[in-house]
Amino acid sequence: MNRSQRKAVWRLVERLLPQDEIERARHLPFEDMGYGYDPFGMERETAVLAFLVARLVYRYWFRVESRGCEHVPRSGAALLVPNHSGVIPIDAAMLAVDVLSNLPEPRVVRTVVDYFASDLPYVNVFFARAGQIIGHPKNFEDLLRHDNLVGVFPEGTRGVGKPFRERYRLRRFNVGFIELSLKHRVPIVPVAIVGAEEQAPMLANIAPLGRLLGFPYFPVTPQFPLLGPLGVLPLPVKYHISYDEPFRFYDEYPPEAANDAQTLRMLADKVQVRIQEMLDVGLEQRSSIFGLGLSRYLIRKEDRDVA
Amino acid sequence: MSPEKKKTPAKPRVSRPRPGPESKRNVLITGVSSTVGRHLAMHLMNDPRVGVVFGTGEGAPPHFFQSFDRARFRYVQADILRSRQLKNLFGSREFQAAGVNTVVHLAFISDPAKRGERIHRYNVEGTKNLLDKCIETGIQKFVFKSSDVVYKLDSKNPVYLDEMADLNHDPNADQWIKDRVAAEMICRAKMDTPGMSIVILRITNIIGRNINAQLNAYFDGNVIFKAAGFDPLVNLIHMKDVIEAIRLAIFKAQKSNIFNIAGNDTAPISTFAELNQRTCVSLPEPLLPVVNFAMRKLGLTDYYYSVDRERMRYACLLDTTRARTILGFEPSGSVEFREPDAY
Repeated sequence: MNRSQRKAVWRLVERLLPQDEIERARHLPFEDMGYGYDPFGMERETAVLAFLVARLVYRYWFRVESRGCEHVPRSGAALLVPNHSGVIPIDAAMLAVDVLSNLPEPRVVRTVVDYFASDLPYVNVFFARAGQIIGHPKNFEDLLRHDNLVGVFPEGTRGVGKPFRERYRLRRFNVGFIELSLKHRVPIVPVAIVGAEEQAPMLANIAPLGRLLGFPYFPVTPQFPLLGPLGVLPLPVKYHISYDEPFRFYDEYPPEAANDAQTLRMLADKVQVRIQEMLDVGLEQRSSIFGLGLSRYLIRKEDRDVA
Repeated sequence: MSPEKKKTPAKPRVSRPRPGPESKRNVLITGVSSTVGRHLAMHLMNDPRVGVVFGTGEGAPPHFFQSFDRARFRYVQADILRSRQLKNLFGSREFQAAGVNTVVHLAFISDPAKRGERIHRYNVEGTKNLLDKCIETGIQKFVFKSSDVVYKLDSKNPVYLDEMADLNHDPNADQWIKDRVAAEMICRAKMDTPGMSIVILRITNIIGRNINAQLNAYFDGNVIFKAAGFDPLVNLIHMKDVIEAIRLAIFKAQKSNIFNIAGNDTAPISTFAELNQRTCVSLPEPLLPVVNFAMRKLGLTDYYYSVDRERMRYACLLDTTRARTILGFEPSGSVEFREPDAY
């Protein structure tokens, strides 16, 4: 963005956000290399602009509820490890808004995009300026070295492409994030996102069509392809994001353990089990998928005002 | 005596004592007439650790050298990449008496418009001949100024490339790139030569007045054309940091190695275009080579698009951890733009 565009963004921020949030946006931690860009191409103004839009979705579409944000480290490098679901990977955006909104001092979550994103015109620039980067191993290492908060989805596309009947059953985790944690001595914060599975319930996957179009899957959901292009919009489910105590495996295992496949698999399984537990608890506590509170009409009238 | 004539084995290298902390560096700079070459020569002449400096260039001695101390600086008009002139220089009494022990190779045909098999052989074989001659003569340090164009750029790259990243071996790459990759490979092949350190410096885009570098010409154009939908980060390095890197390679690098050298200024293309007060026009990518061709033919620019095809889409940023830790290289310069106020 040039100078006048940046000024326009800040004017918009002043109009749309309450005073305390304006201050948070202005002081978003940022490693400025001298021109308003960080070493990976993020620009504070674009990140804030993306936040303004995503915030609307966060509050009014998904009405996200968050718990346990105090477990996210306030500074220094850390890995956020959530489950991944919902066909459209908007859960990553909701996680980013959640962390930005709820931490005492805001931090940007850097999540990864797939390689093909570099080749998409305009989209590639937007992702980079909003702080998202290509999922190359060296990028992870460099991000952590620069003390960033990095979001990793160990289920990968296997997670988002889950059929609806297997919702909330975690797919086997990739072990890359354990390697990063051990080598760079970085804590792992497990995150459970409940709700995303129902935003686009995948009833079927037409794999050959997916391969033809170069997508990892071609989903058939209640909205898509029935409603055409409108069908890519997720249903207005209610999100519940919960965080738990970070894993600090580097306290017990030396960096050399990152070379042992068995250790990596075992530690990845530990994290997977914890997140599965968090999901199970979240599902049990959830009273309705869309959060419309229709269940309260089942409560007696006298108790309804309290509820 | 054996009846058949055996091929005589290679002449044993003349071994010279390694330059210790007290002994002087006697340096040959090839391509000394270039802006980098001239400034490097000046810095070396002012360095007490340097004894004698030889410089080769194709034309007559530039005015720049007139103030130099004739006893310690010798300009030799020679096309060092031609084998006859190379032999003459190395064989000359003056050269041998000087005890040259360090070579900085900057000579390369730097006009991207010049192409063809002859240019390729000139650049590549010339480097090979020079390197072989250096090995034969017992040169102890060979510094080759390479460039970050040698790296392969594609969507699978990380943001920061380290020295182990893949080189561009694409046969369809521009000749500018192919020549430099081939010359580097020749240097790398000899890196295990005992008694000689070969240091390759992969330097990003050098910006400065009279520097004959691609992005320099690009940002100086009246109108800057970039690919619509792409705005990759580019790194610019000030010439004084290039000189510093070469100095460190001469005096501090002990063993053969390859170093990424990057400057302080990293920002997207559009930002630098704006800072240089140029209009930046975004065009669909297929139009860029056409427009560039027209601009070159009209004499409006020296920039040659074909070399930078991928750089219009993908960032080429260098991870300089190795240079920082081993050479202690820290860029101090900052590229000056038309409007020097803070961004």
